[in-house]
Amino acid sequence: MKKFRIYFVLLFLVSILVGCTETNILDRVGLTTLVGYDVGTEERISTTAVVREINPEFQSNVEVITTENETSKGNRLKANRRLSKKITIGQMRVVLFGEEVAKGDLHFYIDSLLENPSVSNGLYLAVVEGDTSELLQHEYKNIDDIGQHIYRLMEQNIKNEHMISSTLHEIAHDYYMKGKDIAMPIIKREEEFVELTGVALFNGGKMVSALPVEDSFYLKIMRDSFKAGIFETILPKEDIPPALMKDTITEMPVAFDAIRSKRTLKLVDPATPEFDVQLKIKARLLEVHPNINTGDPKVIEGLESAVSKNLSKELTRIVAQSQSVQSDIFGFGDTYRSSVRNSELTKEKWHEMYKNMKINVKVKFEILRDGVFE
Amino acid sequence: MKSSIQFSPKDMINASLVFFVVHSAQIGVGIHGFQRVVYQDAEKDAWISVLIAGLATHIVALCMIKTLEIYGTNDLYGIHQEVYGKWIGNFFNVIYILYCGIAFFSVLRNYIEVIQTWIFPGLATWFLSATLIIIIIYAFSGGLRVIVGVSFFSIMLALWIIPMLLFPLKYAYTEALYPMLEEDISAILKGAKSMAFTIIGFEIIQIIYPFVKDKENVKKNVHFSLLFTTVIYLIVMLVSLTYYSEGKLEKTIWATLTLFSFISFPFMERFEFVAICFWMLIILPNLCLYLWAAYRGAQRVIKISGTKFVWIFSLVVFIATMFIQSRTQINMINTQFGNIAFYIIFVYPIILLFIVMLKKKFTSKKEQSDEKV
Repeated sequence: MKKFRIYFVLLFLVSILVGCTETNILDRVGLTTLVGYDVGTEERISTTAVVREINPEFQSNVEVITTENETSKGNRLKANRRLSKKITIGQMRVVLFGEEVAKGDLHFYIDSLLENPSVSNGLYLAVVEGDTSELLQHEYKNIDDIGQHIYRLMEQNIKNEHMISSTLHEIAHDYYMKGKDIAMPIIKREEEFVELTGVALFNGGKMVSALPVEDSFYLKIMRDSFKAGIFETILPKEDIPPALMKDTITEMPVAFDAIRSKRTLKLVDPATPEFDVQLKIKARLLEVHPNINTGDPKVIEGLESAVSKNLSKELTRIVAQSQSVQSDIFGFGDTYRSSVRNSELTKEKWHEMYKNMKINVKVKFEILRDGVFE
Repeated sequence: MKSSIQFSPKDMINASLVFFVVHSAQIGVGIHGFQRVVYQDAEKDAWISVLIAGLATHIVALCMIKTLEIYGTNDLYGIHQEVYGKWIGNFFNVIYILYCGIAFFSVLRNYIEVIQTWIFPGLATWFLSATLIIIIIYAFSGGLRVIVGVSFFSIMLALWIIPMLLFPLKYAYTEALYPMLEEDISAILKGAKSMAFTIIGFEIIQIIYPFVKDKENVKKNVHFSLLFTTVIYLIVMLVSLTYYSEGKLEKTIWATLTLFSFISFPFMERFEFVAICFWMLIILPNLCLYLWAAYRGAQRVIKISGTKFVWIFSLVVFIATMFIQSRTQINMINTQFGNIAFYIIFVYPIILLFIVMLKKKFTSKKEQSDEKV
């Protein structure tokens, strides 16, 4: 026993010393839940941080602080000088980029977020139409904590598959991929609301174009296989089979709930390059013109083919738009890379090829069921 | 044979425990970030490199055990003395002791670096190394059976980490692996060589062999253990290759830990913090075994007591950890050590087996001719 006494003493000393590291007590820190980046007027980066200060006795306090500095860490220092509590970023959930920043280059921001071990890979990224400070500084009537609100807004829409997912991991993943570009949701203040208004398309780290929010469904089914998601479309007259046309309506709005969609990409000609896109969608009919008899299998069949035709047209349209700005958000390039041996693909090379890419969209749309009333 | 060793059965271990010893000696800090190193050479075919490296461990282990079997109950140090004579043999022994020392140091320093980067940036290096070294001294003073016990528990208690690799699979793209075998064979082999730093540790059988009770079962357990390690490395590599995109894996220093950073539970926001702290349990047998291996050698070269050796050894390592501070220095040590380890662990045992077999043939011929006369 005597032999071990010295070890016990040392172990005891060590166990006391363990308490000597820096502590972060919840009452004494300000939790940054959201950060927005803008282009500064004098210095390079203008940062708006939403800081939540937990107060055990009173209601928690939310502060929105805008600072300008050369680096984002410098901004953190500056913000610290205005707060009674130490700023921590471990609870950061959303990072927003002002439109101008996004049109510049996001490479720097993505890398600095990845570098910091206390930043979670699961935080959401989005682009703000206009300035982030304007969006965040506004005093909303019904929103207490703007940071938490935007996080919930994005989480809800992404989880329910209404909007493309844009976690830091996915953005960084696509950014560092040779054959894919990144896309992020766009948010905007509409009077007293914060709203998702579209999808930003990037070429490398630069935002080059935007798609309206209505197209996000097409974007989703084109990007990946997924489950659930409501979409509505208006079938123009030429798409509707004459058998369905009892009245002389010119167009017919329909709404569906896609239960499952599966995308398969196949490279048919590496030289052009040309792709076959096959989409299989199983859906539930939600809303349709009352004159249409959904009990009739023939009618359903006609409707299916009409929607298929309409979908492939819309999909070709959004792909064409992304081609015109050389932003391959669908990952065609990765399929190219993985099916062509020794392609030595680089992002620049793929962007050049992407311009001339041809696709043949084939949609197989299947209506599984409708509601409880025919 | 004069330098062979005899122990009382009390000091010996069962062959089935060799499985735990070998596996726990192999898995350590290398697994945190080996993906990037191998990826730099073999790109998306890195998983083939892992397989080749795993195969190489089997071949080398076969040679090691063969050598040991020829000498019956002796360890590498004794074999060196037998084969090369006292002076040259001890020279090789000193090299091997130094190798164990550097391996010990490198595991310790890498783990401290991970803690400092991820969890406590302000915590001093000396404090962490002192804490860990004291625990290791404590385990070491318990003798081999305690160290083997640590190995056993380190594996048993860490098994739950393996299913955690299922979480990142949600974001896995299998397309990232295609087209397979696009890299040429030399790049893949180079990647396999880069695995050396990660996959070493099984050389411990050369030292522990005399302590095993039922020696005929050693072979089976060692190979089973090596297979288990290779499978784990392969799984981690495949998950990483599909989870990260090309450019991102190249820039991620500790790809395995970053894999974990995506996992979060309602009661635990950041899983990798737990994983990193838990990793201490995984590197503990690593450190203990290297220290013990170094001690076995030192005892052969100079007559030194365990207590004295462990304090000198710890002090040297402790001082060394304070001098190596920056990431670039640590990286340099890892690459250099990986290179040296490749020759000591993967090349040398094969040469040794060759020499031993030659010598055996030679001496048996001589004996035969002596008998005739």
